[in-house]
Amino acid sequence: MEYLAYLLRQTGRNIRQTWGTQVMTLLTVTLSVLIFSFFFLVYTNLLKASERFGDELRLVVYLDKEIEPQQQPQVEKKIRSFSEVEKVTFLSRADAFARLQAQLGEEQDVLADLGPDFLPPSIEVYPAKTLRGLTQINQFSEYLQALPGVAKVQYGREWLERFGSFTKLIRVIVFLSGGLLIISMTFIVSYTIRLTVVSRHSEMEILRLLGATSAYLRLPLLLEGVLQGFCGSALGLFSLFLLYRWICDHFTAPGVLRLFEFTFFSPEAIALILLSSILLCSCGSLVSIRRFMRI
Amino acid sequence: MEQDARQESPLIELIKVTKVYPPDIVALEEVSLQVYKGEILFLTGRSGAGKSTLLKLICCLEAPTKGVIEVSGRDLAKIKPPGIQRMRQKIGVAYQDFKILEKQTVAENIAMAMEVTYASKRAIRERIAELLVMLNLSDKHDKLAGELSRGEQQRVALARAAANRPTLLLADEPTGNLDQATTELVIRLLKGLNEESGTTIVVATHDESIYMETDHRVMDLCDGRISVHASRSKPRQIELFEALPA
Repeated sequence: MEYLAYLLRQTGRNIRQTWGTQVMTLLTVTLSVLIFSFFFLVYTNLLKASERFGDELRLVVYLDKEIEPQQQPQVEKKIRSFSEVEKVTFLSRADAFARLQAQLGEEQDVLADLGPDFLPPSIEVYPAKTLRGLTQINQFSEYLQALPGVAKVQYGREWLERFGSFTKLIRVIVFLSGGLLIISMTFIVSYTIRLTVVSRHSEMEILRLLGATSAYLRLPLLLEGVLQGFCGSALGLFSLFLLYRWICDHFTAPGVLRLFEFTFFSPEAIALILLSSILLCSCGSLVSIRRFMRI
Repeated sequence: MEQDARQESPLIELIKVTKVYPPDIVALEEVSLQVYKGEILFLTGRSGAGKSTLLKLICCLEAPTKGVIEVSGRDLAKIKPPGIQRMRQKIGVAYQDFKILEKQTVAENIAMAMEVTYASKRAIRERIAELLVMLNLSDKHDKLAGELSRGEQQRVALARAAANRPTLLLADEPTGNLDQATTELVIRLLKGLNEESGTTIVVATHDESIYMETDHRVMDLCDGRISVHASRSKPRQIELFEALPA
């Protein structure tokens, strides 16, 4: 108990002695966590969105002419022979017209002059969840395109490609900001601890002569790093949460964010970010303790 | 007490200890010495005789160039750092240059010695108050050590050395900056520690007034060698130390 009390007292003394640098370190850690976790949050939301798109993904195969019901199993077999498919739906011209009418609702009058045969017959193919890569979908689409009687295959290729590229870009930014987080935290905390070591040098020398153990001298410095990591990351995450709330409050109108169903980190992800920050700051502390404390 | 103590094995034993500082300054030469538990030993000699070096060797601040130093029968050279740290907690040292932190208060300076042993806050507070009364420093409790006179700083250093009621107390010129009245306070503190806690005390001094009237052992160092070993229990009876180097 006395040991714990000493540890906390000494850590408090260390922080008071170099409070200016401590504040700067705290801000740097906070900012690093905020930048990293912001991009990480965007990335995780993009991944969730892409999963959702994946669930809703369907390839619409437009046909030159309708397929007779007795031929449908044969066509379905051909489709399934390329890849695992969750569901195949055949739509006749009449089915397509009925669906459009339903979609238009009260405005279906616009279809009055067109007649029920103006839409082409089609097959809706829902690929299995194993088929998620853009390249695989492209190959599947090319295969469907090559089937006899197929006029066109549509699945929003361009949109998916752009979305894929954007996700990749965010992934790169997440890695870069993660790197920045590691470097900034380790270096800045290491620098702060070094200042503490320098400012307490005479005291540590005397404590050594009085029989202070290595743990007695080093643990308060390590705890200083742990506190920097915890407080910095907690502040960073709290700032991000405020930003998230602000975005949710101001961008809830129908639009992209609505489409994405923007969500905050899960408790597990928050714990992971906190622990990683504490670990990184502790590493920064240890680096300085090993390099500058010759005791 | 001393006669009884000598029946036991010595607390400190130096066997032909030599200390040479680079390039070739011989501070101590083949010094052999035994200090018994509960004993008070005065090391005397001129400046540069090797008194401070001897104390530094005993508290592991420096290592001997040759020879063996044993504390409680253990060779200091073979004790690993954690063992040395534990041993230092049981040795109180009042350094000649005080080694106090001028930007900390008197109480904080004394508390340091007890904090490293994780003594309770209450125990620390009580011991500090007791020591300050004994050394006539009660009114300096919260004063910065840097604002004290040399004599007061010296007493703070001694109070810190005595704070843990150590097994062994090494005092290097503990009365160097003190007047007669304060010197008596210091001697009273040392005697009190010796009698109440059985602390073994080694005092390096050239202040004759503190050992002339005592019946404790006095050892004269001259040019790094023990020249005269005197027991004041029979005043002025001086015997040559048996292990003097040739």
